[in-house]
Amino acid sequence: MSHHAYQPKGPRFEAEADYVVVGSGAGGAMAAVTLARAGQQVAIVEAGPWREPKDYPSSAYGALRDLFDEYGTTVTMGRALWPVVQARVVGGTTVINSAIAVRTPSDVFDRWQREFDIPRAELADSVWRHEDRVERELCVEEVPAGSLGRSNELALLGGKRLEYENHVMRRYTKHCDGSGQCLQGCKAGKKQSTNLNYVPETLSRGGHVLSSAPVERVVFEGTRAIGVLGHFVDPLHRKRGAEFFVRAKKGVVIAASATHSPALLQRSGLRHPALGKFFRAHPGTGVFGVYDQPVDMNIGATQGWASIHYRDSPGLKLETLAIPPEMVAGRLSGGGHTLMARVKEFRHLAMWVCAVRAESHGTVKNGFGNRPSVRYTLDRADMEKLRTGLHLVAKTHFAAGAKRVIPGIQGLPYDLGPDQLHVLENAPLDPRAYVAILSHLFGGCVMGKDERTSVCDPNGRVHGYQGLLVADASVIPSNLGVNPQHTIMGLAGHFMERQVA
Amino acid sequence: MVAIFPGGSGLPGIVECDLDGFLDRFFQEAALALKLGLVAGAVLYQLSPLLTVGLPVPAFLLSEAQRERHLNRLLSHPIYLLRQACFLLKTVAGLCWGSHPSVRALYALPPYPPDPGSCRST
Ligand SMILES: Cc1cc2nc3c(=O)[nH]c(=O)nc-3n(C[C@H](O)[C@H](O)[C@H](O)COP(=O)(O)OP(=O)(O)OC[C@H]3O[C@@H](n4cnc5c(N)ncnc54)[C@H](O)[C@@H]3O)c2cc1C
Ligand code: SF4
Repeated sequence: MSHHAYQPKGPRFEAEADYVVVGSGAGGAMAAVTLARAGQQVAIVEAGPWREPKDYPSSAYGALRDLFDEYGTTVTMGRALWPVVQARVVGGTTVINSAIAVRTPSDVFDRWQREFDIPRAELADSVWRHEDRVERELCVEEVPAGSLGRSNELALLGGKRLEYENHVMRRYTKHCDGSGQCLQGCKAGKKQSTNLNYVPETLSRGGHVLSSAPVERVVFEGTRAIGVLGHFVDPLHRKRGAEFFVRAKKGVVIAASATHSPALLQRSGLRHPALGKFFRAHPGTGVFGVYDQPVDMNIGATQGWASIHYRDSPGLKLETLAIPPEMVAGRLSGGGHTLMARVKEFRHLAMWVCAVRAESHGTVKNGFGNRPSVRYTLDRADMEKLRTGLHLVAKTHFAAGAKRVIPGIQGLPYDLGPDQLHVLENAPLDPRAYVAILSHLFGGCVMGKDERTSVCDPNGRVHGYQGLLVADASVIPSNLGVNPQHTIMGLAGHFMERQVA
Repeated sequence: MVAIFPGGSGLPGIVECDLDGFLDRFFQEAALALKLGLVAGAVLYQLSPLLTVGLPVPAFLLSEAQRERHLNRLLSHPIYLLRQACFLLKTVAGLCWGSHPSVRALYALPPYPPDPGSCRST
């Protein structure tokens, strides 16, 4: 077993394994450990460095530098430039996410069967079985009452008063102590990101891990994938190091994310009609509530409260989200003395968000410097959902006792009182009026039976190729309406079990 | 950046939050796209008072009140790309200002330990 970190320019590095897994996030780590437990030798090849909790940054700037993909600079090319947020580190986006675990809703499998001819019965049972396993292994727990913090408690109160379904989140954490630092990586080691469990387990089962090793292309012999090629990249200065080639005796599993997987397959020469298409997301944006008493949202779990009451109609998920002062400062509108007066209220602010179960879809292309280029714009129907979501969030703030809300929408007043809620109902439908982000991403290499409309089959195998699989968010052909990590892991486990059966 | 976080309302300005040290680190470490975006935002801010306050002078020649008006109009400008460029500048400034120990202390938060930047080499 061996870990190979950055290697400076010099002789080519070569290794061999039964399976090469590209990416070590939710999908890649799950794929790797499932294969390793089945007795296969696995090499994980990961673009980012391997950081332990002691290496994690503390500040948001440090997180952008050390954990985020391209400093978080990937944005949608469309009407609005919304950041597409992902990590580039061993453990992938599980290192920076909030670890919320939600089982795949049953209606998702129904839809996949109806629209993509993906057999429901076997898939649903298998995915749920893997999700059960992940819940046990990654210690899914409800946020402990003592770690909720005031923002999450207020949201519970608001939801209760409005009498809609709402709950304390269940997350992949071992006794979360509510430090509110999930976005910067959990220094306390409570969050069960995959760099702490499935990646080291794969290594201990005789595998290899190459870190700081972005794959440039998959190598083929005819239509059989036989390995991956790239150059190490210095994690600090981003200089190119030695070339590497990892040979795969049985298969290459692509799990580089919904943006990087399609881009990687495109630059490897795949010419599927559906490759890079059907990119989807749950775009999210938030409203601050301003409370009389300090909320101190950075004390308590980063995200601890949610509601799926509006998941089916109009298609929304509501959540709390604590962001640190350095991000709040950029998020409140205005500058100069106006801004200083606004940030003074920081301790009294609570940020709650809505994630839209958007039906709009876009495309991913391999762009300049091997960076994915994402074309995506929300259509009018999805923008209406977003606006409704912000209205619901604001309403919940008022129900919880907020004296004002700050919607952060261009063209609207800076803040609104309880008697001004109707203003949000008429908020603009132009995406450029909103500061939103994309953090739940899907598609680009969608699965399905039809080779013309899908890249891989319902077992993750790329149509028309041998020994080439995809096992990450990019295979998901629809939105989910819930947080995706559980579904991604369930699918990756299912695909790999099928592969070695 | 100084115009965005000038200090006041009992809070320190960005100059007192080690802006120089932050910018040194930023220009050594950040991705090229981000550095270019920051420079573009700063240039735009300096050169655009004509668009916001109708004065054909660079922003540094404006009075404090004019500068404040210029900045706020730019940040909410109807042309999306103009306000986005300035928003990026403000976001980066926020990363510096909001993470400084003196600001965190005022928000009852402990100082951040340094960002080690380390990783596993074996
Ligand atoms: C801020 C944030 C919070 C979130 N919170 C939650 C949550 O609480 N619950 C939830 O369910 N979901 C959450 N998500 C979403 C969830 O984390 C992702 O959906 C999930 O991690 C995606 O899994 P993946 O395997 O597709 O990609 P990732 O986890 O992103 O992993 C992809 C990996 O591939 C690597 N890679 C990319 N290109 C290459 C290459 N060329 N060569 C080698 N390696 C490469 C990347 O560095 C990365 O490590 C959140 C996302 C964000 C951004
Ligand atoms: S809230 Fe803090 S302790 Fe809990 S998982 Fe997130 S970073 Fe870890």
